[in-house]
Amino acid sequence: MSTLESEHPLTLDTPRLTVKAPLQRYDKQGDLSDGQRVEQAMRHFVRDFGATAATWMEACIHCGQCADACHYYVQTGEAKYTPIWKLEPFKQAYKRESGPFAPIYRALGLKKPVTAAELESWQELIYDSCTLCGRCSLICPMGIDIARLISLARHGMAKAGLVPHELWAVAERAKREGSPLGATAKVFRERCEWLADEHNTPIHVDLPRADILVSMSSIEIMKYPDSIVATARVLNHLGLSWTFRTDGYEATNFGMLAGNADWQKDSSLKLVNAAIACGAHTLILPECGHAYGALRWQGANMYGKPLPFRVLHISEFLAEQVQNGSLRLKPLQKSVTFHDPCQVSRRGGATRAPRDVLNALGTDLHEMTPTGDVNWCCGGGGGVVTIHRADSLRYKVFQNKMRQVDDANAELLVSSCSNCRQTFDDGQAHFHWDKTMLSLLELVSDQLIDTTATTGSQGESA
Amino acid sequence: MNLLDFARGPGLQGALAIFLFGMTWRLAGILLLRRKTDFSVARTGDWWFGAFRLIVQRSLPRREFASATGYPLALSYLFHIGLVIILFGLNQHILLLRTYTGISWSNLPSGLVNLAAAVTAAAMVALLIRRLSHPVLRLISNFDDYFSWLVAFLPVATGMLAVAHLGGRYENLLAIHILSAELLLVWFPFGKLMHASLIFLSRGTSGALLTRKGAAI
Amino acid sequence: MSETLEQNLRSHGISRRAFLKYCTTLASLLALPPSAATAMAAALGKAQRPSVIWLSFQECTGCTESLTRSNSPSLEDLIFNSISLDYHETLQAAAGTAAEQARENAMREHYGKYILLVDGSIPLGHGGAYSTVAGVSNLDTLKKVAAGAAAVVAVGTCSSFGGLPMANPNPTGAVAVSDIITDKPVINVPGCPPIPVVITGMVAHFLTFGALPETDLHKRPKVFYGDTIHDRCYRRPFYDQGKFARTFDDEGARNGWCLYELGCKGPITYNSCATLKWNEGTSFPIQSGHGCLGCSEPGFWDKGSFYQPLSASTWHDIPALAIAAGAGVAVGAVAAVVSRHRQDSTSQSPTNGEK
Repeated sequence: MSTLESEHPLTLDTPRLTVKAPLQRYDKQGDLSDGQRVEQAMRHFVRDFGATAATWMEACIHCGQCADACHYYVQTGEAKYTPIWKLEPFKQAYKRESGPFAPIYRALGLKKPVTAAELESWQELIYDSCTLCGRCSLICPMGIDIARLISLARHGMAKAGLVPHELWAVAERAKREGSPLGATAKVFRERCEWLADEHNTPIHVDLPRADILVSMSSIEIMKYPDSIVATARVLNHLGLSWTFRTDGYEATNFGMLAGNADWQKDSSLKLVNAAIACGAHTLILPECGHAYGALRWQGANMYGKPLPFRVLHISEFLAEQVQNGSLRLKPLQKSVTFHDPCQVSRRGGATRAPRDVLNALGTDLHEMTPTGDVNWCCGGGGGVVTIHRADSLRYKVFQNKMRQVDDANAELLVSSCSNCRQTFDDGQAHFHWDKTMLSLLELVSDQLIDTTATTGSQGESA
Repeated sequence: MNLLDFARGPGLQGALAIFLFGMTWRLAGILLLRRKTDFSVARTGDWWFGAFRLIVQRSLPRREFASATGYPLALSYLFHIGLVIILFGLNQHILLLRTYTGISWSNLPSGLVNLAAAVTAAAMVALLIRRLSHPVLRLISNFDDYFSWLVAFLPVATGMLAVAHLGGRYENLLAIHILSAELLLVWFPFGKLMHASLIFLSRGTSGALLTRKGAAI
Repeated sequence: MSETLEQNLRSHGISRRAFLKYCTTLASLLALPPSAATAMAAALGKAQRPSVIWLSFQECTGCTESLTRSNSPSLEDLIFNSISLDYHETLQAAAGTAAEQARENAMREHYGKYILLVDGSIPLGHGGAYSTVAGVSNLDTLKKVAAGAAAVVAVGTCSSFGGLPMANPNPTGAVAVSDIITDKPVINVPGCPPIPVVITGMVAHFLTFGALPETDLHKRPKVFYGDTIHDRCYRRPFYDQGKFARTFDDEGARNGWCLYELGCKGPITYNSCATLKWNEGTSFPIQSGHGCLGCSEPGFWDKGSFYQPLSASTWHDIPALAIAAGAGVAVGAVAAVVSRHRQDSTSQSPTNGEK
């Protein structure tokens, strides 16, 4: 493992410099003038507007309840973190540009155009302090899907070149190299080969035909490579026809998180085309939250027609195999608490799947309070974990999560999202916390009853 | 033509015309915007049930949010229920609605309606105080919030004065009360009072989309 | 002319005691302090049969009937008989030139001192041709007679506010007395008809104090028109409880519940019917089971159906509202099309379908 680590250093492992009270920095990409930035932001924000988003934009009654659902507000008590306030300039833009009274607003000048300065100062609210976790969407008495609207606002910000720089750079690298963290096709193939060898587990890469295409998050590839082994073990255990493909393996979609629709589409289509190329009937998404949202719910729309294969999150896949009796597991006599990845549970609809799996593992599930659909976000989603200047805020938010985990009083802490896991690891190191986040997939892989395909050493969880 | 004649005649007719014009304008302006097809495979097919479910279910907060939103929600419920009691329970209002709908129903005892009005007014004042004092609400509130509050509060206040015959000759109190209700009608489609109709659209939309995904609603 | 009012009453068999009682009653009606009754008795007693001229224009004689057709000879009746009614077309014996002569004599003899009572509205259309007496238009007569009057009392709603002759489309161009006479104290005693004691009360007040009583914004004496019928209605408790008769013969009607729903205009009608009542205090319309028409209010004749509840709208043009709604849809559609167009004018790039 050591050679690979030195050949491909992980930026995530290097210590980050943090300043106590950093000057607010407004990142900009490109060399547009202020006027052009605003123009771009508004045009692209507005261009995405359909009847649905308009309904939500119109509906807000300024009750402020969303603040109580947002971990940023709850942990800081700062009014500016009220979810709907994060959309304020975009609300203004909507009313001026697309609302039913827009012609009146424009003619009478009742709503001022949004200024570049406003957009810049909102960068922190739209990116640093929103993980798109969608908790606010559950509390809103008007049923406004605020998280969805923030995603739309990011489209405008991205077009205006007003994305926090690290997030932009990560997304740009993903577009350029095929992976945000340097897990290029070559690196991925080499890792797979090495891991197959090391763990004595067949890992299929680039099979021309397979029933199941499996994808990975580059966070797993680079930081939690045991996940690759675990995936292979489980699929081999089930005796299924599966493969990784170097022309479509990266499941993360930082283009989407940054708000760049073109990059988002690029990333999604790679997976879609790879699945079609090998004739897969199922695409399995890895332990990654936003990957699920990107492909399960937005993939077909990137593709422009229904996808000719099923899309499953790994936890859904595992639950399915548990239910049809194919997956045979040794009981794990331990108490477990489960952290719900927002995009898979609350936003994705797969809240039950991991619990079915944990149940099959014979664990004693200690649910957090609150849990499931209303579980608190770890604070790392939505690309926030990439933004260095947001670190201190992220730690504040993470304390909420730590308290929740501690209160659950379980022996093991498990989730099914490598981005959450990365956030937990970072928080654990920062606070010298005694809890380590484990992967559901790796837990399953460790408890397989068997046999032929997994004779190698039992991989320890990271 | 005195003030009362104006209020009962052309004033009401005009206010209703503006109300309907504005309502349909705003709703058409929203609903006729583009709708894109979602090609993703739905987890469940009954999106309409999800729409209905969220419309009903979101009327009460989830258990997890109940403690945070309890106080403002209780006040909001008080004044909304109060408004319903006043609007549909007072005979004078029923008689007005009968002119347009042709149907009528038994009125509630005036004592109950008066009590509802007092509770409504008190709850509205409490909510205004909260809006003025809570940091989040202070930040996110705009002209619409305060003006809509005023426009909704005036009919309650003037109605109470008219019932009590306090502060002027009855025909003027009644005229001012009717005019204040007309102001509410005129403002209704253009400000956030519109939530009375948008709440169904917005909740229904989210309910349908989220249920499609099987996501939490 | 030398005989005082008191002497005149005495000769008609009215005792001093009965006269004082009348003055006390009147004083209390006029909301004067008890001491005023004595002052009033003294003033009225000494008054030398004041000259009164009564002009009738576009009217129905109902006001005169109200005053003279009391069941028993009442004191106000007698007071009225005791004044020197020098001209009243209905009541006077004289006719033709003699009648007009009597009026002119009275005007000449009492110029500046006589009281002018008017019932009926004055038509201005076609040079006043719609109503003339002895070839003279009502307008000219009024102006001429009012010029020498000490005070003018408009008796009834027609002379006070125009009344039924003024009802839409007002074919005769009818107007009220106060529209013509602006340089003299005019007091309105509206009602269709007015309550008799209110009419004589005004005369008594003028005779006692030399001035007309305090009036409201419609020039009505506040003492009689200070409260609404509703304020003093014996059915008011039912209104306050929300108990209403729905039809004229339902349970509520039989129980004597509030007549609001049947169109009673009591809440906006200022008059004393509910307290003084009619026909020697026997009853008043609401007591007999019918809502108040609002006859002492300006414009009551043109405010829609008498049976339309006060809170109901008087103008509900449903087709016009439907047009307004349709226009809204059209404008909203245009706004949506404009928005779509603005969206299209930006460059295309992929977006997902969850909008």
